[in-house]
Amino acid sequence: MEIAVQRPEAQRMGFFTDTTVCIGCKACEVACKQWNDLPADDLRASLSYDATRELSASTWRHVRFVETLRIPEPEPTLNFVEAALGAQLDRWVFMSDVCKHCTHAGCLDACPTGALIRTEFETVIVQSDVCNGCGYCVPSCPFGVIDRDPYDGRAAKCTLCYDRLEDGLEPACAKACPTDSIQFGPYEELVERAKGRVATLHERGLEGAYLYGAGDEPQDQLAGGLGAFFLLTEPPERYGLPAHADSPIQQNGPIANATGVAAAFVAAGLAFGAFAAAFRKAR
Amino acid sequence: MSGKRKGPPPEDVTRRAEEGRTAEGRDVTPAVGRRGQAGGWVRTGEKVALAKERWGDARWSFLYDKDTRYASASANGSVAEAARRARGGGEVPVAVQGPMIHATLWTWEVPVYFFVGGLAAGSSLVSVACDQFGDHEGAELARKLALGAVLPAPLLLIADLGRPARFLNMLRIFKVRSPMSMGAWCLVAFSTTATGAVAADVLGFKRAGRAAGVATALLGSYLGSYTGALLAATATPLWARSRVLLAPIFVCTAAASGAGANRLLQRSGPTREALGHLELLAMGGKLILSPINDRHIGSLAEPLEHHRAYKLSNWAARIGVALRLLRRGGDVPSVLFLASALLTRIAWIEAGKQSAGDDEAVARMARR
Ligand code: SF4
Ligand code: SF4
Repeated sequence: MEIAVQRPEAQRMGFFTDTTVCIGCKACEVACKQWNDLPADDLRASLSYDATRELSASTWRHVRFVETLRIPEPEPTLNFVEAALGAQLDRWVFMSDVCKHCTHAGCLDACPTGALIRTEFETVIVQSDVCNGCGYCVPSCPFGVIDRDPYDGRAAKCTLCYDRLEDGLEPACAKACPTDSIQFGPYEELVERAKGRVATLHERGLEGAYLYGAGDEPQDQLAGGLGAFFLLTEPPERYGLPAHADSPIQQNGPIANATGVAAAFVAAGLAFGAFAAAFRKAR
Repeated sequence: MSGKRKGPPPEDVTRRAEEGRTAEGRDVTPAVGRRGQAGGWVRTGEKVALAKERWGDARWSFLYDKDTRYASASANGSVAEAARRARGGGEVPVAVQGPMIHATLWTWEVPVYFFVGGLAAGSSLVSVACDQFGDHEGAELARKLALGAVLPAPLLLIADLGRPARFLNMLRIFKVRSPMSMGAWCLVAFSTTATGAVAADVLGFKRAGRAAGVATALLGSYLGSYTGALLAATATPLWARSRVLLAPIFVCTAAASGAGANRLLQRSGPTREALGHLELLAMGGKLILSPINDRHIGSLAEPLEHHRAYKLSNWAARIGVALRLLRRGGDVPSVLFLASALLTRIAWIEAGKQSAGDDEAVARMARR
């Protein structure tokens, strides 16, 4: 069903992003831009310290700043975000967001040119020499990752450093991360370690820690399991992540196609009925 | 971040302005990157100084190993349970911090394409019905109209691409799962048979023309309906939640516009009357299905209900139906139905963009 690169000895590789150790330094963002030769984004003024705001065609790693605010008694403060909002930063959580390299990838299912393919490491990449910029993958990603570049016209997103992987190197972001919040490795191994980490955190009393995208029962899986999964401590919506997701085409496509074609045949029946009535009268 | 931007990207302007700058004899032109693809590095074939085989560098630089307390506890069933606690439940427990998903980048070309494609599909259906009831002249007219309507469709589709010169890449693969791929193939097939039908008519091969007309109509059943499925198969809440009725609504407007356009050209006879019935039935269908769908998806329908094009399309349909039932207005209802069909497509696309930008709505949909 999918267009995939085959290599028998290759195995699934992934990212495990542990938000509890992230310090929000954005080294991964910079490393990604450097390695992949991506242009800088415009600086946009906002009420957040997070100037990147979202993943886009030129931002393939985005350290999201989750700023939980508490509205306090008015009090003088030197912190300009707090002053502007009239609120205090209650908790500041960072999460380095990235393409999830879904098992059921909406973008991959949508692509009509075959530009999006699965690699031998079971990651999802865009072949930039094939993509014609139809833009259908953009609304088809349930995580809001892939985007079409407004100047270049093609879609682009994280490749899990496919070029580095082929040479046996770990992706640039994971290499740069000073706290190992981004860990890279064989998928099964990563999931095991991540589960152990959650158990450790639970033991220490951080009951809210959970894995987003790995270690679920089949019926609870996100898009069939995420190749890049996360350890989170807040409900997913705080990080702009959906609580449930699957490839929209696999979810909705068959039903929508079926009712559409059925309706077309009903319309044909009505047309014949209308003609029969009119011609009977004429005769 | 929407649509296409003309001119050189800002980083190229910077690069050009600062090209050839030197400091102490060194080139300090900023490296500000390239868009649309990963860096085009060339392999030298040589290993770098710290190279290790098979991601050995990852293990070598790893902070947390068995000798740390990073992941010392052994996992039990509580891991899956913790995820179920955080992601379960029907309500969004916290304020949503978006953005959640990306809206479509499609501009006006796409709704107009949906409109002409629907009109062509409706027309192809009309031609088969005409043939069936012996009005071969009407059928030939309908086939010409189908061809005329579908001719601009590829141009609209190409104009919408980020890289129009690569349009033919659409025909590189045949992907049953992707409505975009199937639609592109269907458009090619439909255009071919529609051209063949008109050519056969003109050259006097009557039976061949009719047969090609039937084939065109069969392809039209997909061309007129897949556009709804195309939208429904995305993550945009308004479209995804309308997956059952969106394509039928588009079929209704397609049939109405096909019948309406033919009726405007058919000046008299039972065919004109039959087309009047058909457009009335089809528009009536839209006026019934749309509110059902709006009710079914609840608050997700708000961007649609508040969109000006949607209100206009509904009023055009209602006034047209009323006029037709009162047997007044002559050609006016047909024109209104055509306008309604176009406005419906515009409204659905534009409201979809708003729906995708509504982080609360996206989060709510994902909570089931
Ligand atoms: S996260 Fe989005 S862009 Fe990445 S593989 Fe999944 S569907 Fe595709
Ligand atoms: S924009 Fe490119 S990668 Fe995305 S679906 Fe279209 S052809 Fe495929």
